[in-house]
Amino acid sequence: MSHTPAVVVRDLHVRFGDVEAVSGVDLTADSGRATALLGRNGAGKSTTMKVLAGVVPPTSGAVTVAGHDAATDALGVKRAVGYCPDVGGLVPRATPWEHLQLSARLRRMGDWEERGRDLLERFELGDVAHRVVGGFSHGMSRRLSVVLAALHEPAVLLLDEPFDGVDPLGVEATLEVVADARARGACVLLSTHLRDLALEACGEAVVLRGGNRVAAMQAADLTGEAYRALLD
Amino acid sequence: MPSSTEPARATSRWVDALRDTGHLVAFRARTVRRRGAAIAGAGVVLLLTLVFAVGPADIDAGGAAGDVLDTLVDALSGNVGAAMAATLLLSILSATSSGGGREMLSRSEASVHPVSPRVEHLGALALAPLNLAWLIQVWGLLAVVALVTTGDARLGAQVVVVTWVFAATALGQAVGWAVEGVRRTPHGVLVVRATGVALALVVGALHLTGRLRPVVDALPTTWLAGAMQDDRWPLAALGLLALAVTAVAVGGVPAAWALGLPPREELRVQSGVHEARPVPEPRWGSVDRTLLRRLDRGSVWRSVGMRRGLMVLGIGPGLVALVAGLEWGTVLLLPGLTASGAALLFGVNAWCLDGKGMVWRETLPVSAADVFDVRALVVAECMAVVSGVTIVLALLRNGLPPLTTGVAVAACWLVVVVQVLAIAMTWSIRSPYSVDLSSPRATPAPHAAMAGYAGRLSLVTTLTAMLFTGLAALPWAWVPAAAALPFLAWSTHRLLRARRRWLVGEQRARVVLTVAAV
Repeated sequence: MSHTPAVVVRDLHVRFGDVEAVSGVDLTADSGRATALLGRNGAGKSTTMKVLAGVVPPTSGAVTVAGHDAATDALGVKRAVGYCPDVGGLVPRATPWEHLQLSARLRRMGDWEERGRDLLERFELGDVAHRVVGGFSHGMSRRLSVVLAALHEPAVLLLDEPFDGVDPLGVEATLEVVADARARGACVLLSTHLRDLALEACGEAVVLRGGNRVAAMQAADLTGEAYRALLD
Repeated sequence: MPSSTEPARATSRWVDALRDTGHLVAFRARTVRRRGAAIAGAGVVLLLTLVFAVGPADIDAGGAAGDVLDTLVDALSGNVGAAMAATLLLSILSATSSGGGREMLSRSEASVHPVSPRVEHLGALALAPLNLAWLIQVWGLLAVVALVTTGDARLGAQVVVVTWVFAATALGQAVGWAVEGVRRTPHGVLVVRATGVALALVVGALHLTGRLRPVVDALPTTWLAGAMQDDRWPLAALGLLALAVTAVAVGGVPAAWALGLPPREELRVQSGVHEARPVPEPRWGSVDRTLLRRLDRGSVWRSVGMRRGLMVLGIGPGLVALVAGLEWGTVLLLPGLTASGAALLFGVNAWCLDGKGMVWRETLPVSAADVFDVRALVVAECMAVVSGVTIVLALLRNGLPPLTTGVAVAACWLVVVVQVLAIAMTWSIRSPYSVDLSSPRATPAPHAAMAGYAGRLSLVTTLTAMLFTGLAALPWAWVPAAAALPFLAWSTHRLLRARRRWLVGEQRARVVLTVAAV
């Protein structure tokens, strides 16, 4: 029986004008597993994530997410993916509940309110569910972005810097979301600079440098020294 | 007892503030994307200013046209003082509605730099002319004075006009900061709103009792209007120059007071609670579109700056039409200008409503066409509402117009709204910017770009309105309606072209990443 990974990236190139943000990344990620995407600033992690989320079209290369071609079926990709962007990711004058309502309805979710409330409570955002997010702290915004990504139990969960500026309780809740997603058979891709948290959340790791993949290994093998050697 | 070194210290502080403002202006100038276009735009503005200051003086009409011109000059001669007072009123309204005046750097950008309230004050003053209403008012005043003055008196009169504009802008700025200070005190928002309503009622009462004109005539601007046309003009100009300098210096005090207080209204809005509403049952269209529309409308009306701007644009010109009893020929000019003003609040960079949330919006499984259509509709709604209020208030004052005029007004209104919408959506996709509109002092694009946008929108809509004013004088009611068709066709073509660009994934990604600044 053939096994198709949830995420397949072959020779991905993304160019913005004269700048090549991603130059030839290859990547596969399986369902039921969590893969950490590591690398220095500007390594191409966030751009790769945006391509996988259907936000940025690939300049060249093949990208398949949950069976949908990112170049030709961006809408299909968006239905299959839950994405927490690296920066912001919230409409400043809408409330968390309005974000959840829009996301759920556009994905044709029936009874989403209970799960929405549960997630908000788990991330300690229940008290501010109806408050405009413009006044949120950075950590609160990050936590809500994770909630939005996880709400519809996507087949592919993309978390870009979900721990950035988040307090320990928020980190715990995010790790739980990752574990839940793996348990129900979703593919998780998690981009972060925090190697220790990446190792805790993920079984596999991919290291990018200068827009290229330089290593793919079991997360347990990525020691501090090995990681540092790959970054330089 | 004040120390003898105090004045020297104060002077030194102002010198420092001027120097820092210069640094900020230079920083802003260096970040202008299309330098050539910006220089050309500034040249056009200066040229137009010169044309308005000199051009009307050379109009030499004979026959019937000459009689019309004489009548116009007679009517304008008695209104120069009122027009000057209107300049001051506009400066106050502009500074008040924008929370003290435009900002050189956004609040988040400025927060890491030692930018003093004096620098904020001087920066707001420097940016005041980059405003559509300010420019039109100044051009109008220069043109009127050029028409009503004769020969040797013209140069002196225009010098007085220029110094008056400086003084009025500085006075307006000082009042604007003071109002913003009051607004930031406990219950200040209520006080400002109540005072605004009370002032409007007083003006209305004066008008209804026939006392408004005598009150306006008793203002010092009437003396200025007379003095500028005889040998007292140097005295008037020097007095106004002194007033301008004093107003600039005094304005630093309320600026420091206001900026030292927390922005209560913005903080209240930013932490505003909006209870969940059920998913709407649309009468037409899909649930997706209805939800997107609700989100977009919320983004507009939950912003202090946009809400305040739309209210001022809707009610301000309409009140002028109501109180001053503008003729339909003049009323025809207003929908284009108010629609342009509404577009300048956010429509020229329509995607900035989502801010950094633009990336999340783009991950939603909804067609790009729906997203564009809904955003365009919300921009159009804002423009139609503010320009519609102006027309309704003019209707209340003037009653129903003759058929041809009525058709011209309706056609012109529709044309300018679609025209401005098409231009704004085109700009939104061609030149997106990352901006934070949480402060009412913020603008949806950099100041140089805003000045260019304002100039182009006002020119296009004013020329369109002038055409329809001419058509309204014809005896055939079908002519204005027929004339609207090519305008609508061209604007629809532009709008569809912008939509097609938005539907291209690469173009949309560029807009999304630029607006979200990622």
